[in-house]
Amino acid sequence: MTAILEARRVAKRFGGVVAVRGVDLTVRQGELLGLFGPNGAGKTTMFNLIAGAFLPDAGQVLLHGRDITREPAWRRARLGIARSFQIVRPFRALTVLENLLAAIPAHGGANDAASALALLRRVGLEARARDAAGDLTLGMLKRLEVARALAVGPRLLLLDEPLAGLAGQEAADLLRTVQALKRRMAIVMVEHNVRLALPVCDRAVVMDAGAVLAEGTPEQIRRDPAVIRAYLGSEAA
Amino acid sequence: MSEATIERAPPRPHLRSDTLGLVIATIALAALGIALPALGASGYIRTLVYYSAFYLALGQAWNIMSGLTGYLSFAHGALSGIGAYGVVIAMNADWPMGASLAVAGGAAVLASLVIGATSLRLRGAAFTFATLFFQELMLLAVRKLPFAGGPGGLVLEQILPEWIAYVGMILLAGVATIGFALIRRSRLGIRVLAIKGDEDAAASIGIAATRLKLILFCVSALLAGLAGAVHALFTASLYPDVAFSVDLSLIALAVPLIGGVATASGPALGALLYVGLREALQLIAPSAHLTILGLLLLVVVLYMRDGIGPTLARLIRRSR
Ligand SMILES: Nc1ncnc2c1ncn2[C@@H]1O[C@H](COP(=O)(O)OP(=O)(O)OP(=O)(O)O)[C@@H](O)[C@H]1O
Ligand SMILES: [Mg+2]
Repeated sequence: MTAILEARRVAKRFGGVVAVRGVDLTVRQGELLGLFGPNGAGKTTMFNLIAGAFLPDAGQVLLHGRDITREPAWRRARLGIARSFQIVRPFRALTVLENLLAAIPAHGGANDAASALALLRRVGLEARARDAAGDLTLGMLKRLEVARALAVGPRLLLLDEPLAGLAGQEAADLLRTVQALKRRMAIVMVEHNVRLALPVCDRAVVMDAGAVLAEGTPEQIRRDPAVIRAYLGSEAA
Repeated sequence: MSEATIERAPPRPHLRSDTLGLVIATIALAALGIALPALGASGYIRTLVYYSAFYLALGQAWNIMSGLTGYLSFAHGALSGIGAYGVVIAMNADWPMGASLAVAGGAAVLASLVIGATSLRLRGAAFTFATLFFQELMLLAVRKLPFAGGPGGLVLEQILPEWIAYVGMILLAGVATIGFALIRRSRLGIRVLAIKGDEDAAASIGIAATRLKLILFCVSALLAGLAGAVHALFTASLYPDVAFSVDLSLIALAVPLIGGVATASGPALGALLYVGLREALQLIAPSAHLTILGLLLLVVVLYMRDGIGPTLARLIRRSR
């Protein structure tokens, strides 16, 4: 399978903290890639570097082989990279529907509202379309976050802990929604809920302290002694 | 629009009827204002209506930029001053009125491009400081420029009938109000409100913030410049210290903040309230207009964060 995204030896430090120390990461067309690791491992920083929220101190980011290392975030979104935020960032003053309308690319059609509603239906928020986003519960905001990223029409979707804060059934539903998106786009999912997320991944990467600790199929990851020691611990045993 | 189109059209984020109602109300009020002289309204009433329209046009111009993007401008007084000087200089050079108004609006847009291109790329207070700096710079410059008449100012040589500025300002205020409502519900309006809400999140969905802010600032400056130009036709004389006083910038900002920022009807409420209160207190405290403005703003900021209009609307809805 061909690579849609390649991060080459990207590095980022914040003052004295090295958040990401020269990481290679490849995302393949149509795969669901799990990105795991303990708190502070550098997962969100990787997303920020890929999506262009900030520029790396070193290394390159390539989308379909094209160097996008210096492109601003808004242009990367237009090139097909969409993301959700670990801590939800809705446009609270806009309605739920407008949150998606803001994200749908311009093509001058009157169909924007119809496609926005279709997306809301997919995450179960259709009934709240006209409510202010600020009035939603956290669980709904997590789903809105995913729907808004989808509204961009991405070829690469970055989901930062989409299940965090969701109750059991809600989490299972959202995970099923994410799985259904696969093949039409590549997805990278950061999740702390490894037990739930790892089995649905095609491949997984584990980070620790700003570096890649392990990479492989869910089965390989589950058995990797370094992973078990550093992160998964008894949870995977 | 035909029945069939309405049926096929997907649901809109705002009720079409909201905007339609506002457009009808605006047209009706503007028609009433324009008809007042024919209905025998006194010169005093006409002056009050005129100033309400002037402040509404300025406030709505400010609302389009600062209300929607959240980037506060203190330069709308200077932008209207540029329009004022533009129209008078052009008309004194024997340009026709239409072309002179175009010059006035164009000059204000040019100024907004200069302010915006240097400061809208940056986040936070950079734009606000740039507008304050520009406001002061313009005052100093116009006092010195020979073709602007220096500190003594300029006089419009042509004598115009009073109704031109009166009707012109009411029309401009109406256009600005309807313009705001249409922008607010357009794709552009939704996207700039997203920028106001969270600029990083807006970037993450492909919104080119700098460009959109600059577009709105140009539209806003055009309206402010035209408001200043029409006002110059009204006063027929210009003094730099009046045309470029920071007072106008404060009024442009206070009118929407008092009545309801980022709403179409709020600035109308704010303008009427300000002009009304200023008149009511004229006898007691003749030069207290800025104090009045400050107190009004303080009360609104402390007790009704979105402004009087939205707060009232919420109270009415709750009491039903
Ligand atoms: N904007 C920032 N400014 C300063 N330090 C930062 C910033 N973002 C991340 N860091 C630091 O970089 C390191 C990696 O953080 P990052 O958020 O990437 O970890 P993470 O793997 O996403 O962790 P978590 O699972 O807690 O979300 C941490 O030490 C963090 O404190
Ligand atoms: Mg994180």
